[in-house]
Amino acid sequence: MGERRKGLIADNPFVDVAACLFLEDIADKQGASGMNNYLVSLATSLAKSMPEEEYATWDDFLDSLVKGESIISAFEDVITVTPHCAVTTECPFTKGWLEYTKRIGTFSKIHTDVAEYYNSVYKPGTINSMCIIHQTFRNAAAERIKIAGKILKISQVAAVWEDGTRKIAPDEWVPILLEKAQITGTDLNMILRNNADVWVMYTE
Amino acid sequence: MLDVALVSLIQDMSEKAGVEGTIQYWARVGESLAKRMGKEAYMGWPSFNVALREGRTAFSIEGSVTALTDLAITDVDGDVVGYIYALETCVFNPTIVRIRYSVGELPRADSAVAEEYNNSVRDTAVCNFCVIHQRFREEVAKNISIADQALDCVQLANRGFTGDTKIAEDALKKIGINPEYVRSLLRNYACVYAILMRGARLKGEEEEAE
Repeated sequence: MGERRKGLIADNPFVDVAACLFLEDIADKQGASGMNNYLVSLATSLAKSMPEEEYATWDDFLDSLVKGESIISAFEDVITVTPHCAVTTECPFTKGWLEYTKRIGTFSKIHTDVAEYYNSVYKPGTINSMCIIHQTFRNAAAERIKIAGKILKISQVAAVWEDGTRKIAPDEWVPILLEKAQITGTDLNMILRNNADVWVMYTE
Repeated sequence: MLDVALVSLIQDMSEKAGVEGTIQYWARVGESLAKRMGKEAYMGWPSFNVALREGRTAFSIEGSVTALTDLAITDVDGDVVGYIYALETCVFNPTIVRIRYSVGELPRADSAVAEEYNNSVRDTAVCNFCVIHQRFREEVAKNISIADQALDCVQLANRGFTGDTKIAEDALKKIGINPEYVRSLLRNYACVYAILMRGARLKGEEEEAE
């Protein structure tokens, strides 16, 4: 990965920590649902502010994705294990979280509470507040990408947080997602050992 | 990513709540961060400066900060009551680059927020991010004591991403530092501020009062 690409993926720990604390203040006043609404609108607004994309073929899109030229991979290092299975190698919030644990202490419980709220109301795939931003952004960014005239769709398969906590899609969804991703359950576990996120990409 | 996401909200927020709303938002973010970082106490200036160099103080979260120990601030009795500190790179520089390569450009509200801050709060902002920085440092200073004395943080000078600068001449006059000297510091540093004992009787202030 080039230096410029690294710089683009790197996070701003000052803002990350400040934002996490600000989110906690929001949760104090508005609860997990208020915090969730803020996170979702933050991520959606970011995706909407980015340029739309069009690709003639799936291969063109994959090429752009792994080079980090697509808006989907603008903030994360993405590799593909099959043409439809994308893997985020490292969570873009790692640096901010490490700074939080160093400067503030244990990550506040509200960050996992809000994820539980999101999982029950939206889609069950998040571990904490950072996953909500990340996954909402990806879905909103996908809506801005057309491949051979069709809008890109994304489904979350699994995520692993820095402390090893895993969140895998519900059992009844897994076979369908793995089939779309063209990987097996064993493949998934192997990928999760040293990566952060696994997601499926497709068009309908 | 979170930094770019927050910035992408600025335009929207400024249109809905006005640039004053954005100033309040950034100030609250900076204030909340500082308050949650906890209190610190040091025996004297040398131990504080060592902690700063080793990245142990709350001020260090902004990146590499140098204590310019050749620029001690003295009071009317000639006692050292503070020092000048310089932040090597603005913590928002990488964010601005990330915005350039992901979203495209900084929101128009960026300069509007800075202008409003300069008019309504203090003429020391080169971009909207200065609001969070400066408020953060003010609040951090309140949480730190040196030799049992509370501190103040005073913004002195800063240089923006595009090279524009702000020099707080009034503040420099109070602590008795030549603005031209501070201007030359901006060649190497992005932001220059003073940390000093709260309530110190400064020469410049005494002269002004006379």
